[in-house]
Amino acid sequence: MNEQPLKIMVIDDENIVGKRLKPALEKTGDIVEAFEEGETALARFAQEPFDIVVTDIRMEKIDGIEILERILAKSQRTKVIIITGYATVEIAREALSKGAFDFIAKPFKPSDLRQIIERASKELRS
Amino acid sequence: MDQHITDIKDPDIDYGSEPENIPLHQRPSISIRAKIAISFSLFFILSFTVTVWSYWILTKLEHKIEFLEIADNYMVEIQQARRFEKNYLLYRTDLDDALGHLKTADKILKNNSEKIEKILGPNHFNTMVSYMSKYHDQLILLGAAENDAAKEAIVPSLRQFGSQMVSFATEFVEKERISVTRMFLLAKRVPLYFMSAIFVLMVFVLVFLTRQLLLTLNRFMEYTKRIGEGDFSPITPARKYRDEFTKLAEAFNHMIKELDHKHNVLLESHKLRAIGTLVAGVAHELNNPLNNTLLTASMLTEDYEALSDEEKREMIDDVINETERAQRVVKNLLDFAREGETEMALLKIDKIVEDSTRLVVNQVRFAKVDLTLDCEPNLPLIAGDEQKLKQVFVNLILNAVDVLPPRGKIRINVKKDKVPGYVLITVEDNGPGIDEHIQGRIFEPFFTTKRRAKGTGLGLSVSRGIIKKLGGYIKLKSVPGKGTVFIVSLPATDSPSEIMSK
Ligand SMILES: Nc1ncnc2c1ncn2[C@@H]1O[C@H](COP(=O)(O)OP(=O)(O)O)[C@@H](O)[C@H]1O
Ligand SMILES: [Mg+2]
Repeated sequence: MNEQPLKIMVIDDENIVGKRLKPALEKTGDIVEAFEEGETALARFAQEPFDIVVTDIRMEKIDGIEILERILAKSQRTKVIIITGYATVEIAREALSKGAFDFIAKPFKPSDLRQIIERASKELRS
Repeated sequence: MDQHITDIKDPDIDYGSEPENIPLHQRPSISIRAKIAISFSLFFILSFTVTVWSYWILTKLEHKIEFLEIADNYMVEIQQARRFEKNYLLYRTDLDDALGHLKTADKILKNNSEKIEKILGPNHFNTMVSYMSKYHDQLILLGAAENDAAKEAIVPSLRQFGSQMVSFATEFVEKERISVTRMFLLAKRVPLYFMSAIFVLMVFVLVFLTRQLLLTLNRFMEYTKRIGEGDFSPITPARKYRDEFTKLAEAFNHMIKELDHKHNVLLESHKLRAIGTLVAGVAHELNNPLNNTLLTASMLTEDYEALSDEEKREMIDDVINETERAQRVVKNLLDFAREGETEMALLKIDKIVEDSTRLVVNQVRFAKVDLTLDCEPNLPLIAGDEQKLKQVFVNLILNAVDVLPPRGKIRINVKKDKVPGYVLITVEDNGPGIDEHIQGRIFEPFFTTKRRAKGTGLGLSVSRGIIKKLGGYIKLKSVPGKGTVFIVSLPATDSPSEIMSK
């Protein structure tokens, strides 16, 4: 298709996550950048906004909820997808109430995430 | 593998002799009730005896006094008779005067024969009567004699019988008089002796019983204190005999058993709760490697054709490493949850502490506190139960985490104690500290300042129990507003470190 490629950001302090998701998500022709630290990811986001941000919720310095808030503050239209270490209703509710597009619980397959991203991109392009 | 050390005896407990090691139910039984009953019976028997004796002696005195009165009258009569006998012999007065008195004397004897016999006995009474009648016979003979010569012939036997009659009576009267005086004296003194005896007995019983009661009560007070501190070993009072307190001790032991049981149940639930909070962390910890494995394996199948051999190898290595990581997480969880006896082994204390910090890494991270661990090199080995020791340090760290604000600090230090042969582990936080007035209580089981669902108040009491069992101690220093240090000291073993398998 001749659609504009989406810019996707992946943030997880487990480096394997970025390593595997980058090629997996790039298959649809989108542009993917992976980060292991929230700070550097946010700094990069400040340079230019991304369409989709996939972030782990529980990380050393800045957690996923904070990233969600700061990204939405900067770019309303960005779709933020939260990765949770284990799914609890409270975390899901909190993330969604703060404006997250969706959440996905570890462990997941690349295709699971791709489906969510597909939905997100549909919304972005509509 | 691990060296097992068995048969560690508590040096505080005297395994030795006497009566502690005779089981309570085998001791001979003398109840306090029996003791009181015995004392009262003694009082009773004593007073009864004294009363009966007094009654007896007073009756006897009564008889004797009656006898003495009769005897006095009798004496007067026979002495009169003898006076008239002498007058007759000298002046030839009327002999009937003498006979008349003798007759009165005889009447006195006959009328009071029973009373007199009671004192003198029948033999002496008969002798008395016979002396008198012999004298009487001589007097009759004297009166009947025709001339002076005949009268003179009778006189010697008359005199003999007369004096016999008088001296026999006098002797008895004297004897009875002395005995009466003696009896009076006795009757006067015995109540005094009795009073003193009762007094001594009372004091003795009072002192003995109260001393025993108070001592035992004190002991039991100490037992309750001990139980309050969470020591659930059965009590064995040092008493030779069974009594009500033995029953109380048995009731105590029953209660202790129940408490111990309930305590264990609670410990179990406490542990489960601790596991519950750990599980949240562990789930996260476990899902990370699982996720890495799943992502990697998925990509491996998805892109199998397109991947270079090198990329494939890297991905397979990732799968292996992440699987092993998951395995470690599971092992740690199992280690913590594992039930069991104290399993003694030679341990590297620095490794134990490090493992403990790893067990709580998620709680620490989540609370955003800073944890540092410093271990001195070349630490001696210690003997202990790995899981239980980890439980102690996990407890101490989680307690600190609970009170610390974000960016709070926990510093753990492992080093040789200044006291040779001991290692010292300090867990320090810069939290709010512990108020002085509750510092003495925090090791009590169930003491907690946390909300119901959050704290059970068992962590520190269990920890103290574990450390104590290994011959160490755990104490704290806390400055309200500045922070708290928990200090754990454990005895090192002299065994060379080569024994360790790892
Ligand atoms: N590091 C600490 N700083 C301040 N208070 C503490 C600390 N450690 C323990 N305490 C106090 O001691 C109490 C008892 O601790 P513990 O026996 O572990 O039970 P729990 O943690 O379930 O309350 C806690 O409720 C808390 O008030
Ligand atoms: Mg605790």
